[in-house]
Amino acid sequence: MSARILLSLLLMPLLASAAADLRWLPEHLRPDPFGGIVRADGPGQARETRIELSGARDGYVSCHILVSPQAGRQFTLTAELQGLELELFREWFHFMPSRKEWYPDALIPVKMPYSSVLPDPENKIENQRTQAFWLDIWIPKEAKPGVYDGKVVLRASGRTSTLPLRIRVLSAIVPADDVVIPDHNSYGTFWLNAQYPKSEDLFRLIHAYHRIFYEHRGTFHQLGYGHGGKVAPEFAPELTGSGRTRRIKSWDLYDRHYGPLLDGTAFANTRRGPRPIPFVYLPINPEWPASFLWWNEKGYETEFVNVVREMEQHFREKNWTQTRFELFFNHKKRYKAFPWDGDETRFPEDNRYFVEYGRLMKKAIPADSPVKWVFRTDTSWTMAQQFKELEGVINFWVAGSGMLSLYDWAPKLIRSRGEILWTYGSPPRVNDNSAAITSELLKAWLYGASGFVHWLAVSPGDDPWFQFTGGATALVYPGTRFGINEPIPGIRLKIQRNCVQDLNLLEAVKDRVDREELTRLYNGTKPNDWWTRNSPLLNRPPQDWNNADIGDALKDHRKVQRPKDASAWQRVREYVLKIAGGEA
Amino acid sequence: MKARLLLTFWICAACYASGQTKTAEELDQVARVASVMVDGDVCERILTPRAAQHLLKVDPRDQWAASDNFDVNHDAYIQIKKTLIRLGRLGPPHTDVNLWMPVPGDPSRIQVMIRNVNEISQFWTWGDLHQPMPPEMKEVLTTGKRKTVMQKPNFISVLAPVSNSLGDVVGLVEVVKQLVDDPHGNVK
Repeated sequence: MSARILLSLLLMPLLASAAADLRWLPEHLRPDPFGGIVRADGPGQARETRIELSGARDGYVSCHILVSPQAGRQFTLTAELQGLELELFREWFHFMPSRKEWYPDALIPVKMPYSSVLPDPENKIENQRTQAFWLDIWIPKEAKPGVYDGKVVLRASGRTSTLPLRIRVLSAIVPADDVVIPDHNSYGTFWLNAQYPKSEDLFRLIHAYHRIFYEHRGTFHQLGYGHGGKVAPEFAPELTGSGRTRRIKSWDLYDRHYGPLLDGTAFANTRRGPRPIPFVYLPINPEWPASFLWWNEKGYETEFVNVVREMEQHFREKNWTQTRFELFFNHKKRYKAFPWDGDETRFPEDNRYFVEYGRLMKKAIPADSPVKWVFRTDTSWTMAQQFKELEGVINFWVAGSGMLSLYDWAPKLIRSRGEILWTYGSPPRVNDNSAAITSELLKAWLYGASGFVHWLAVSPGDDPWFQFTGGATALVYPGTRFGINEPIPGIRLKIQRNCVQDLNLLEAVKDRVDREELTRLYNGTKPNDWWTRNSPLLNRPPQDWNNADIGDALKDHRKVQRPKDASAWQRVREYVLKIAGGEA
Repeated sequence: MKARLLLTFWICAACYASGQTKTAEELDQVARVASVMVDGDVCERILTPRAAQHLLKVDPRDQWAASDNFDVNHDAYIQIKKTLIRLGRLGPPHTDVNLWMPVPGDPSRIQVMIRNVNEISQFWTWGDLHQPMPPEMKEVLTTGKRKTVMQKPNFISVLAPVSNSLGDVVGLVEVVKQLVDDPHGNVK
């Protein structure tokens, strides 16, 4: 008897490892390279049972596939599913020296069947026992609601393991227009030269960045000028002359850069279909198109108005009438090139410059222009004052997410004036729990804001592969390491995309949404908790605040908007699909 | 073959050196004019008392306190900024003229007060509100004489004193140019 037990005990690990060489995890539980779940998302366990996912049409559902073959043996992975489209990505485990942990994020697209060995020869993780893959399943709009069965198959060491795959396609269709647009910001193109040293076609690369964010239900911004007003040549038409002779000399580079983005052809052959980009920065700044040398003189107005008028005419002739062209100032006086803050204005007396630019724009643009012009400001310290003082001047507000929580009256006021409200912040780090990327989107939706800006989303650091700093400024990665001369997505970007799909579904049935239930499911809060009420900070003018005061005032707010755990959005998704998904 | 290569190299080096010398001379001319044209009294009025008060303060709870309180008197700033732009136009294309002022209360430090469109400098550390006084700048402030600096590869700067109505040297200008211009540089 004891000998039999002993034998069973000895055999058990072997049997377990054989059975567990193919497992899966829902998207919010990210795997580590050793068969477990990353600390930020745990606890949890990979599953050996059938993969079951539900989703609306014209959208994605996703999961992680975990492969744990014998070390050193080749494996081959494939997946099959009739009627729906599958995309497989190999997950890169980034080493974070500060935490001595590996987190998966970058996703390398692979063709099926995919063969490799463990440990992954490129990722080079000692004792790696599991390779993870991200599986995206695209449900076309035309798919018939119902159950779709398929399988994931692993061949390794002469044996085959199979995971059944079942997708419940719901009758609902994810609305094409995003209720909250995740925006991904960047500055200039110098970083492209660093990340793609061998790339010769700048515009192809820029368009690839727009495309990857568009395909992930987001948008991409590239600011084309520096703090001193220097404009990189591809971001503005070329000018000539001075004073009354200043005019546009050439549109060549501008049109090559923006033409396919503004008429939508850059997005041909994407799942979402060709559409013009919804927003774009203008190159206008205090030094372009008018020289600051003439500021406060008639020459400034003449140069500004004449060139902007030519731009309006060009955009109209090109029929670029679906994109919002943003007048936006990014400079700050602390960077010493201009005497006022265009960005995050700190001192109220600087508002007069916005008023003057509003006047110049009105003078330059015909009242009946079919081109959409917006005047945007990114606001923090003095937002309450700016919301009131700059009424009729600014019509696109991008507000610091935390500070906006102090002013519960603001979104209603802004919406009532027909203006746009977005919020801004940073991407979460990979070592935050996987639902962290959904927090700002949910908050924007609760606040009635229609976008959220990741202030920098394309800068993964000098060595994101082996010396990763966490990805607080990147949601995509250069694919060059893998022979892909364009960006590749990260897991956080995928989770964000799927969250936007859910928000779109939610918005479609917003009258039926129980907001209290929604926030309760997310993190046990009430919608009202997401505002910072009666803060003592507001008893003093913003010019007297400092960052420590603000930190203190928003301490509780930061906790309130934090997802309770990695499953926070999964619980919301189940609620969304219950009330908005329809039948399978 | 080797001799031909050497000759080509020598010609290139000679052209580069002659271009460098010519540019340095042109910048020096601008710097000479700048010392006369930039009004030191107005420069002294640029920084607001509030900004000056916070400039050297270290707040352990707020590392951005000095930057967040940095402010300028607009009229003085604009007047000098316009002069600097004009001076830049006197030089070869893509010349910037920056104004540097000593930090009140700490002679060991200096601050760039006004920069220009190309955002180029051999001395400024990006984002620094103020920084240690480089010996070259100290020399100009002390002697009142212009100085040409070619420390950073591809850059030429000429530093020139700025004086007020009492004849005191109260700041300096950096007339600066890159030998090879980078159209994408500093668009960030």
